[in-house]
Parts: sequence; structure tokens; C-alpha cells
Amino acid sequence: MKSNVYDQPFITIAIGDAMPRQFHKKPLRQKMVWRIVLLSTLFAGTRQAQAAIGCTLSNPGRDLKTLYPEMTSYREELREIRRLPESANAFEWFQERLASPLDPVYEGADTPYTFYLVFQGNRLLGYVHGVNVPGRGGVIQIFLAVDPETAAITRLFFQRLETPSSAALRDRTVRDQFQGLTLADFYMHDYFQAASPGHEADKVGRLSPPARLPPDAWTDWHAILRGVRKNLLLLDLFLFHRRHDPFFNRARELLNPKESPS
Amino acid sequence: MNYGILAWKNLARRPVRTALTVVGVGMATAVAVSLGGFNLGFRAAISRSIEQLGFQVMIMAKGCPYEAATLMLKGGTGLLYLPESAHEQIRTDPDIEAITPVFLGVAEKPAGGPEENTGPSAFTLIAGIERESYAKMKPWLQFKSGPGFDGGRWFSPDAAAEAVMGFEAAEYEQRKVGDLFYITVVPHGKTEPEFHAFRIVGVLERTGTQDDGTVFVPLHTAQRIFGREGQLTIVGVTLRQFNAIRMREFEGRWMSIPEVQVVSLEQVKGALVSLVGTAQTMVAAVAVIAILVAMIGVLNAILMSVYERTAEFGILKAIGAERRQIFYLVCLETLILCFAGALAGSGVAAGGAGLTDATLRRLLNLGLTQPMVLITPRLLAAAIGGAIALGLLAALWPAARAAALRPVEAIRNQE
Repeated sequence: MKSNVYDQPFITIAIGDAMPRQFHKKPLRQKMVWRIVLLSTLFAGTRQAQAAIGCTLSNPGRDLKTLYPEMTSYREELREIRRLPESANAFEWFQERLASPLDPVYEGADTPYTFYLVFQGNRLLGYVHGVNVPGRGGVIQIFLAVDPETAAITRLFFQRLETPSSAALRDRTVRDQFQGLTLADFYMHDYFQAASPGHEADKVGRLSPPARLPPDAWTDWHAILRGVRKNLLLLDLFLFHRRHDPFFNRARELLNPKESPS
Repeated sequence: MNYGILAWKNLARRPVRTALTVVGVGMATAVAVSLGGFNLGFRAAISRSIEQLGFQVMIMAKGCPYEAATLMLKGGTGLLYLPESAHEQIRTDPDIEAITPVFLGVAEKPAGGPEENTGPSAFTLIAGIERESYAKMKPWLQFKSGPGFDGGRWFSPDAAAEAVMGFEAAEYEQRKVGDLFYITVVPHGKTEPEFHAFRIVGVLERTGTQDDGTVFVPLHTAQRIFGREGQLTIVGVTLRQFNAIRMREFEGRWMSIPEVQVVSLEQVKGALVSLVGTAQTMVAAVAVIAILVAMIGVLNAILMSVYERTAEFGILKAIGAERRQIFYLVCLETLILCFAGALAGSGVAAGGAGLTDATLRRLLNLGLTQPMVLITPRLLAAAIGGAIALGLLAALWPAARAAALRPVEAIRNQE
């Protein structure tokens, strides 16, 4: 059997000859189809069995080539917070900087994160990473392509986003607002939001949802903002050696002058 | 004469040869045990998967599978359905213990990527069910509990917008009890997708079956959103007495309805077992070759040992050893070799069962969640016993040859 058969949404297997009598009168091809379908029905869905659900590109070769037309190869790196040397501290670090509670069921330390490293020859072109965040009516999968030097977002796209307003939220002009943002901008936003709302240096504060977004779709807009921050944090943790921490500490100092930075 | 010590000393005199022979026997035993474990485990896994479907018999529309293939391969629509009236007719059958109608549909999950309009990337299996008859047929279905999942229940009969999610479906969509869940469906006869929101009222515990990846909604809701009112995909049945005769009678009664076909899951089980039958036969052939090679190895090792020790046997006989004692000594050496090899091989097979299971899953992705390799004490005992028996069989000729030596000729020939 060819491996690509298993890439279908259902499991497909062909079976032998012990079929109901009436089917033995049918042509071989029809019998095979019957068997494939019946067994697909029997075992549909059982392939998803995993401990924690990560977020991977459904077609990495195609998607990465679209993001980086000059790429010649890519590498996947699978990381988990629980496998870091000081996993408890790392998870605490992650929670503290996300500025919103992590879901204890779906956002645990055992969640596998897949980072795509894109190369042209030996030159690293960029990192691509996706996260799952719970949206209003289902999971939202947010992928970021980031510059390996500046850690700034070069592209944002959704692999999964199902909502009545998904067309508006997926709109290119909405997504392009995120280009150039770094994790430092989110940390600075924490400060501006509290101390100086509407400040012109607050790039995250200037992000605007699609015009006339229905009220019930605001949940998804906020989930997207949270997902982008979560994604940048994981990139910072696993690939950028927490380089943006001085911004976090400075924002916290400014907001809570009596507290010492961590 | 202490045969055990003598045999051990003889083997220890050629440690490399002894070790290689033991390794050969061990490898053959490990292959045989792993194959036997796969045979046992695969049948058990298939049986368990079939039992967890809850049905003994499935009734579906004729031709349905061909349309379902379209659905499966292209992610589109097009299942053929049987009329709900067939369910009403069949449920009057006196041999039926339980019966449940099921409507299956596939909701596309809109996809995205760096490029727009990349099409659907995922699908959600939607099952429209009658909660009471379905739950009765699958009494092991339990609601997940814990933070976010407490208070799980089946949807109310009159609640059209309530849904229950299988374990994996909820995990994949990151849904909890009380959350909304969106489904986009293109109803039958229409071209534009319609959007539906369901309130999740329960998440099921993992069962290891297709139910884990399914979203359950009330039967009539599913029929309505897919534009298939009055139609079903399958009717699941359990019979009061399930055997070949009853099944044939049942089949005969209902095959007369022109739209339906009756399928026994026992037949499916047999078919699944036969699916890997060819592969198992091929692996068995490899195992038989390995066992033959191991036997030849044992024969060679013992024969060489006998040749090298011709004079020794001659002296033993000259000082009074009987033929049967020499025969016994050679057989005992073989027994030690085979027992050590079989024990090591069985240990490797039992210890590596997890690895074998993972490898088989990678090679034969059958969608089974139960272990595919089942190594039982009985299997291990049979493997060790078989290895010893075959080893002794291989030792008969060298042992007889050693026992038949004439003392004077044996001593002279070795000088």
C-alpha cells in the first residue's frame, strides 16, 4: 500500500476475501472499494490518538516554498517545555509573559511544538512556527514566519480558523498589520496599555480588527492576538534564547517600580 | 558420571562456537516468538475493535460504499443513504436485541495557508444518532470529567443545537463542555456552505475506536443540516443469538428490501485477519528459514564437537562408558545450547515487544489502537519447548555417530 493513502482523512486499508456472499458477484474493483470504505468507517478517527495536540503544517513543502521561494531545504525541530533542563521554571516563565492564563488541559508543558527552519543552501532564511489557540467555535491555528536575525514577524497566516467572520479575519490587510512586530512590541504594549493608552509607539495597540467585525467575532480577534504573542514567546524561548526578556523586565519595572526584575 | 558438569565443560572448551550457536538459536526463537505474538495480538486487537463498535450487524444502503469512497478520497459529499423506513421495518424483527439508526456526514474544516484558497485541510465526522439506542448499544461510553469537562451529558432530545464530542475530536478542536463548536456543511442539493453552531454538552472518554474522532448530534439535526431528512447511513444491530445460522436467517429476511445490504462484522473480522494473512505467511516463511538455519547451526556445532572429540569418546568407551551414556552426553550438550538460546531469544522477544509493535504499526498502519503484539507465557513455553525439541532432533545424528564409535578405532584415528 502506498503511504500517501494514509494521508487521507480516514484510514484506508484493503482486506481479503471473507466478504458477504452477494459481493463475490461484483467486479474485483468494486469489491475492493467496498472493503476500503467499510474499514475506513470502522476505524475512522483512530489515527488521531496522541497525548497532546501540536500544530504542524499540513503541507510543509508547499507552504514553506510559498513563504520563501528561494528556499532549497527545511528542517523540523520538535520541542517541548517539559524536556527543557529547568522545565518548571521555563513553564512559569512562559505563563508569566503570556499575560493570560494557559489552558491546563490543552496548553500544558507536554504540548509538542514543531519549528520549521528554512534554508537556502546553508543560509538560514527564517523560522516558521504554528500554535493552537482555542477560538470561539473551534481551534485557531496561527503560523508565523519570523526573521532569524531580528525575530520580527515577516508573515502571518491561519491554517485553521472557522468562524462566520473568518473571511474578514483572514484578509491579507488584516494579517499584514502584524509584519515587523516582535515580542518586544507586545511587552511594550503591556506598559503603554496601562500607563499611556493610545501612545504612538504602541505598535500592538495600533493593530485593528477588520472593519465592522460582529461582536461575537471579537472573541476570535482576541484569541488571535493571544496566539501571536504565544507563538512569539515560544520562538523566544526555544530559538532566540529569551533575548526579549530585558523589554519584559523594563516594562514590569516601569509598571511596578517597587518590584525588582526577575 | 555427572553428565551436567561434563557437558558444560565440553561446551566451555569452545566458548566462541558455543556462543555463536546460542545466538543463532536465540535469534530464531526471537523471530518465532515475535511472529506468534503478532498473530495472537493482531487477532485480539481486531476482535476488540469490532466488539467496541457495539454492532454485530450493519445494515447499509446498496452502493453506499462506492459513494463513500468519493467522500473519503475527495472529502466531498455523495454518500448513498437508506430510507429511514428500512429502520422502521427492520426493528420489528423478533431476533433483534438492540437496534440503532446512524446518520454519518462529513463537515469540511476550512483551511488556510500562506496562499489563500488552499481548500479544506481537515474533516470532522458528524454522527447523527438516537442517543438512547446508541448509548444502550455502547454501554462503555463514559463522559470525561475534570476541570472543563464536569457535567457532561448526552444532548436533550429536543435540543437541536447541542453536540457531544469524542475524545480526540474535542482535543483537536480544543473544546470543553459549554464551548461552542462550529460546523460548515454544504447541504444536499445546495451549492453554498451553511454555518452551524453547536453547544458542547459532553466530551466522551477515550475509547480507542472511531467514536473518539466523531462529533455526535441528534439524528434529525444531522439529517437536516446535511439536507437528508428521512435518510440514514447505517443501522447497527445486535441479535439475541449471534451465530452463523441466525445471521443467515436474518440476512435472508432483510436482503429482500431492495435498498439495503446486510453485513456481519464477524465477516469483517475474518476479512481483516485475512488481510494480514499473506504478510503473516511471508514472515512465517522467514521464521521457518531462520529456524532451519538455527537447526543446521546446532547440527554443525555438535557434529564438529563430536569429530574433534573422537579420541575422547574412544577413551570414555575404553574405560567403560556405554553407548547410551555417550548418546546422552551429546544430547545434553545440545539441550543446554538450545535451552540457553531459546531462553535468551524469548527474553529478547518479550522485552522488545513494544519495539516490534511500533515497527509493525509503522509498516502496517491498520488504525488499531490496541497492542498488535501479544506475548503470553504459553507462547514463550511453546517457543522454548519447540527450540529444545528441534535442537535435539538436530543432535540425533551426531549423538548416534558418537555413540557408535569403536574405542580402538576412535583412538587410532585421532592419533
